[in-house]
Amino acid sequence: MSGDLSTPGQILRATGLSAGYDGRAIVHDVSIEATPGKVVSIVGPNGSGKSTLLKSLVGVVPVLGGTVNVGDADITNMTPERVATLGVGYVPQIDDVFPPLTVKENLDIGGYLLPRHEVGARIEAVLEFFPRLKTMMSRRAGKLSGGERKMLAMGRVLMLRPSVLVLDEPTANLAPLVATQLLEEYIRGFAEKGSTVLLVEQRAKAALRVSDWTCVLGGGRVVLEGPPSDLENNPIFVESFLGGGAPRR
Amino acid sequence: MSVFLSSLGFGLITAAVLALATVGFTMQFAVTNVLNLAYGSVMINSAFVTYFLNVHTRLNAWVALGGGVATGAIVSYLINRFIFTPFQRRNLPPITIVMVALGVDLCGTFGLQAIVGGSYFSFRQSPGRLWHFWGMYFSTLQLTIIGIAVVVLALVHWLLKYTRLGKAMRATSANMNLARNSGVRTQMVISTTWIISGALCGLAGTVFAMDTGVFDATSAQLYIVLLLAAMFLGGPGEPYGAMLGAVTIGVATEVSAGFINPQYKEVIAFVVLIGMLMFRPYGIFGKEKTL
Ligand SMILES: Nc1ncnc2c1ncn2[C@@H]1O[C@H](COP(=O)(O)OP(=O)(O)O)[C@@H](O)[C@H]1O
Ligand SMILES: [Mg+2]
Repeated sequence: MSGDLSTPGQILRATGLSAGYDGRAIVHDVSIEATPGKVVSIVGPNGSGKSTLLKSLVGVVPVLGGTVNVGDADITNMTPERVATLGVGYVPQIDDVFPPLTVKENLDIGGYLLPRHEVGARIEAVLEFFPRLKTMMSRRAGKLSGGERKMLAMGRVLMLRPSVLVLDEPTANLAPLVATQLLEEYIRGFAEKGSTVLLVEQRAKAALRVSDWTCVLGGGRVVLEGPPSDLENNPIFVESFLGGGAPRR
Repeated sequence: MSVFLSSLGFGLITAAVLALATVGFTMQFAVTNVLNLAYGSVMINSAFVTYFLNVHTRLNAWVALGGGVATGAIVSYLINRFIFTPFQRRNLPPITIVMVALGVDLCGTFGLQAIVGGSYFSFRQSPGRLWHFWGMYFSTLQLTIIGIAVVVLALVHWLLKYTRLGKAMRATSANMNLARNSGVRTQMVISTTWIISGALCGLAGTVFAMDTGVFDATSAQLYIVLLLAAMFLGGPGEPYGAMLGAVTIGVATEVSAGFINPQYKEVIAFVVLIGMLMFRPYGIFGKEKTL
């Protein structure tokens, strides 16, 4: 069913990346790679630069040093509208929908780059995936609940069948059950279908559970990274993110 | 009663002109974040182009009107391209752009005055026969103006609601970065918005001058006051609010002018605005700045 929601993968790679606002770097010398069929997650305390890193990958925040590649293409400092044409779907942490537009219109904008005659069929495919949205097509996005809104935000990027999904804390403010479903069913599902997923997730435990690789960001740098099984047994990681004590899952 | 009805008639005409003007004005604010106080001077300059084409080169009135509309569109595009955009790029506070717009307005108005002089002008058109409905009188010209407004506002509605461009405009207004992430070339959308809203501005300026009958280079100088009142009444950046605000302000100013001194039109507009803002601080439709 979700087979045609995304296109199998391209590598998303940042090399020695520095990025920030007004010429001042917030993210320093970060190298990170997300590959098809895998979920790579980024964890780290508030203000450690996770959102800034993602924004610099998709062209919203200027890259001050280093490079960003998608597949063979160098997308360093490419405009966001051109990054979108390369199959990178980005869901921001906040302001992830167009509140005054209806659900249908949000999806239409998601399909802005598609040939006109394909939009209807794509909307059908997205609704198939998020059936809850079916009943609220003419409601304004600003009036949705947190969970519905996130589904719409994800639905918007799925309109273009992205090969790379860049998701900034998709589970923030969601009820625990909805959050788990989103991560373990939908997001994990994309990777299993061959897409590339780069995910920022506040809750370290949940991040480890869905990821193939996790990077820990601190002060704008990668301070620790590895597969979940390593991090779970890393005393520093356990101490700072899993609340001390024995590793739990 | 008859004073009331005849001034209500005037109100509907004023409202039609004001609605055309306010919709363009509010679109500029919604999509591009510029409170374009130079709007009135673009209106009157466009009206003078129509006048020149119609009266001096003796072009058909509709063709001349097309010239006025094109003038509004082109001049607005150029003002944004060469004045507002460079200032916005520098990340200056919005008040700076407002001051710049005010300067452009003065240059536009007095530049025009330098060319056409201080005298009064009027279209040679006869207003046509008088029509009488429900105690209100309209000339053929006035009915034409109301007709133009209804048709054009319906087109604006269709544009915003049903076209790809219109949705892109609303998306850009609501969340520019997200629109870009979806592949919308927002710079193009913004330029197009200036052209469309500028065309509305040129159209409004021309029908304003035709409706006024006698006009000079400074005739639209106080019009910005009515525009602001109508826009804030409906909720800034809300095109449907702008239409409703324009009708309210248009009718309120003309009906009150039937009973008190017509010189106080702008004052009445603000009394209505302030009275309403006490109850709905974001305007009739406004919640957030949206299109
Ligand atoms: N638009 C901005 N302009 C300037 N500084 C910003 C902006 N957004 C975020 N920052 C700063 O960048 C740092 C990292 O923020 P962010 O990337 O949002 O962290 P995280 O997503 O890890 O919580 C913070 O110190 C924040 O103050
Ligand atoms: Mg963040």
